[in-house]
Amino acid sequence: MTLPDADLPSADEPLDDSDFGLLGEIRDMFAAADPMPAELPDRIRFLLAFRDLEIEVARLTAEPGELVAARGTEQSRTITFDSTTLTIMIRIDANKDGTVRVDGWLAPAQRREIEMKCAADPLSVTSDEQGRFAFPRVPRGTAQLVVRPAGPEETGRSVVTPALIF
Amino acid sequence: MDDRRTVPLMTGPGRTGAVRPDRPDRGTRIASLVGAARQGSEDALGQIVTELSPLLWQVARATGLSAGDAEDVLQTVWLRLVAHLDGIHDSAALTGWLVTTTRREAWRVRAAGRKQVPADHETLDELPAAGPGSEEQVIVDDERRMLWAAIGRLSARCQELLRIIAFAPRPDYTAVADALGMPVGSIGPTRGRCLAKLRALLADETGGAWRDAS
Repeated sequence: MTLPDADLPSADEPLDDSDFGLLGEIRDMFAAADPMPAELPDRIRFLLAFRDLEIEVARLTAEPGELVAARGTEQSRTITFDSTTLTIMIRIDANKDGTVRVDGWLAPAQRREIEMKCAADPLSVTSDEQGRFAFPRVPRGTAQLVVRPAGPEETGRSVVTPALIF
Repeated sequence: MDDRRTVPLMTGPGRTGAVRPDRPDRGTRIASLVGAARQGSEDALGQIVTELSPLLWQVARATGLSAGDAEDVLQTVWLRLVAHLDGIHDSAALTGWLVTTTRREAWRVRAAGRKQVPADHETLDELPAAGPGSEEQVIVDDERRMLWAAIGRLSARCQELLRIIAFAPRPDYTAVADALGMPVGSIGPTRGRCLAKLRALLADETGGAWRDAS
């Protein structure tokens, strides 16, 4: 490498069109090499709809990549979410009609109201004393689970999972 | 044939996403979106999310976080923004707060020892392979490899700065550099040493062709 010429751009000059062009190239390069998942902003918008609730966001403890891969695949898969108060495990199976079946378990086992926010109207079920719950038919698309206290007299925080793609 | 080598980096055909002058009203638009979001507008908040998430994605990934962790970090940061909207009134403050919080949260998640990938994105291997394409496409790829290689020779701090600044709104460069802990004058309104060094490297590697073309 030779030393830069004296007439090379100096650090003290104002940004010029070549700099902006170069930054545009850098942007294109990273947008191609490490693109943000295209659906991420929609998932975040979805999540922000819960912002008025007192919630905990459960963290995914399974492989994140599998969530996306769940779309269109036939085998069942199990996904686990952890929050400070609750573990949520769900198993997703494809139905023949193009929807998915979601079976879930809460640990520690408890009765809670469980809502599935999805592409259609939200679905709501209640877990049994063993913490089990099931949504027999959920449309494919973006979905999200909200686990709420079982009744108005119950206390405890709601727990929301990150958005899923079935 | 040879003159194809001197096609200027930034004026090739078919480019998308190149930096364009920001519309002068962008700052006003963002400020009013922030105001509307503060009043509870889902749509205004959503527009801000859509506009600035690509920047925050690069901020999180530049720390070496896995893609899954980066998604979690972005979700956390946007949820947290809602509680902080009262203190944010303009675009620079918004961008600065988001970049600072994303970077801090990303490092916190990394330190928590979750599974992570090394921060060695700066390898040619990660560039998408040049598929069968037009000669022009091949030239674009050649230029991109040259640029990629030149960026790889910058310091880690400069690499992070340029990667992130490239996704930032132009009037917010100074706020972003500040959020990254870079010294005043590292970029915006002046070129700063990172871009100056990159241009020197490119001019050197292309035998002056890049500089001449500009």
